[in-house]
Amino acid sequence: MQPHGGPAPKISLPNIKYVVAVASGKGGVGKSTVAANLALALARSGAKVGLMDADIYGPSVPIMFGVPCPIDQQTTPLPLERYGIKLMSMGFVVPPERAVIWRGPMVDRALRQFLTELPWGTLDYLIMDLPPGTGDAQLTLSQHAPLTGAVIVTTPQDVSLVDARKGLAMFSEVRVPILGIVENMSYFVGDDGKRYEIFRHGGGKKLAGLAGVPFLGDIPIDPRVAECGDGGEPMVARYPDSPVSKAYAALVNTVREQLEAIGGAELPEVQM
Amino acid sequence: MSEPWIPIVMRRDGDRLIMEWSDGFKGAVTWKALRDACPCAGCKEEREKPADPFRILKPNELVPLAPNAMPRVGRYAYKIVWSDGHDSGIFTLAHLRELCKPLE
Repeated sequence: MQPHGGPAPKISLPNIKYVVAVASGKGGVGKSTVAANLALALARSGAKVGLMDADIYGPSVPIMFGVPCPIDQQTTPLPLERYGIKLMSMGFVVPPERAVIWRGPMVDRALRQFLTELPWGTLDYLIMDLPPGTGDAQLTLSQHAPLTGAVIVTTPQDVSLVDARKGLAMFSEVRVPILGIVENMSYFVGDDGKRYEIFRHGGGKKLAGLAGVPFLGDIPIDPRVAECGDGGEPMVARYPDSPVSKAYAALVNTVREQLEAIGGAELPEVQM
Repeated sequence: MSEPWIPIVMRRDGDRLIMEWSDGFKGAVTWKALRDACPCAGCKEEREKPADPFRILKPNELVPLAPNAMPRVGRYAYKIVWSDGHDSGIFTLAHLRELCKPLE
């Protein structure tokens, strides 16, 4: 039996009403895009919102929000504010050309610091953009952060759905409530007004049905999403009246409904 | 997959832990049984080794073990901080339920 140091305490965020993880089993499904645009759509609805990029190895938030990195922490306090939301990312403090080569415990420490040592202030929603997979970052946040729930992002095709199922299983194992599944890149609306289902369609809804979790909505594909992401101005901020932005506005409503429905089912403290 | 029931009361009662569950089940498990069932890799390995009759006890093994704290781990488990500093075992709800014997 091996003695160890004191236990890592559970993080308390009393000034943040809802902490929502945006996750996927697979990379490349547009999880960071969904997290960024969901955060912006929530802010546009009048909420106070923070976005924490929990992808330590491959942060996307700096590019998506047009933040030249690394920032000078002497003159620019963290978290940064862009488009009315508070932002934190490992990319703000590490030069873009430098790789973060860390083992799990360092990732754990960085995520804890993001949550506990930054002045997030009072927020209605803290959206966490998780890295793909079911590894250290997911485990740290589900064990120690007061996650209200998780949104699982998938694309319609089977190869993505298989991995989304793994993400669902992980959150279920660690009893983080699943708010539901979002199908990203679900369809394309052409200039002719017709709907084209490029990567098939309906997989997210089917998976939600099989897993017994809510289907939160589908987000159409639009080439301007990539253009906006690379240009540092997310779609919801730049084209607020586009079908994509309208889909995010609808997503805000379904996410809100789920958050209000699940309430808080924390485990009881042990009376010693 | 996670179970539908969760503990609603967790209380230390002398040498045992009392647990009341959301499905109405009430039970208890001794702290000794919990330590013997510690799921951490170090303890598992110890249990799998053949018993050594000539093993010399360390000083901290001569003092009766007691739990100092039992913090929550997310929404799915607890860990026990023992008086000898050991705290690496994460007891999932399913494991605790399995160890929990009905109260007389």
